[in-house]
Amino acid sequence: MVLNNTNQERDVYAAIADPTRRQLLNLLAKADELPLHELTAQFEMGRTAVSKHLAILKEAGLVIARKEGRETRYRLNAAPLKEIQDWVSIYEGFWKERISKLHLLLEEKK
Amino acid sequence: MKSDVSLDFKFTSSIEQVWHALTDSDTLAKWIWSNDFQPIVGHKFQFRAEPNEWWNGIVDCEVLEIEEPHKLSYTWTSAGETTTVTWTLTQASDGTTQLHLDQDGFSEETKARQGAIEGAKYAWTNMSSQLEKVLA
Repeated sequence: MVLNNTNQERDVYAAIADPTRRQLLNLLAKADELPLHELTAQFEMGRTAVSKHLAILKEAGLVIARKEGRETRYRLNAAPLKEIQDWVSIYEGFWKERISKLHLLLEEKK
Repeated sequence: MKSDVSLDFKFTSSIEQVWHALTDSDTLAKWIWSNDFQPIVGHKFQFRAEPNEWWNGIVDCEVLEIEEPHKLSYTWTSAGETTTVTWTLTQASDGTTQLHLDQDGFSEETKARQGAIEGAKYAWTNMSSQLEKVLA
């Protein structure tokens, strides 16, 4: 893993930590490109809220936005996702987090 | 050969206490997930996490090796991949306990997987619930 990617990687994690944004990525993964109103139609929230989620995905490099007339159209850019496909580092993070729980448990017992 | 995951931890608790935390089902549930672990070689058990849209939350395991209180090893099968988790405990002269974790057996394909969104789904699975807490 490249060390100077850490910030970007964290952005990607943050971007996909939210279920709405995961659903947006899913919708975009199934289509070439979708306009905002079609994406908004899939959610209970309004277009402003959906726009904000898309902006976060855009910052993380996960979607690419393109203006066409009055409309903004979005498509998926899956490349940053490969940063988080490294199972080995995922498990390292998982175990470190779990072991810190174990530390607390054992301290409590003292 | 270097393990895929190789981590060292240190505890001020005794080796017996750490061993207990690794092998007692109720204690395991407090720091990993609920489970039906039993410290018997060949015992098949599961860890059960909260399922989500990407993952059924189940890890299938089988106890491979028990050497109380020094070594514990089990298989770890989740989301179509089987790895081996091995815990090694060592009591230091100052009474502290060193805990070493190895996780081996990740396929080359998994390690090298590029680009496709499918793989990322599994990653979200594992990370998202913890991440949401961390990032909240």
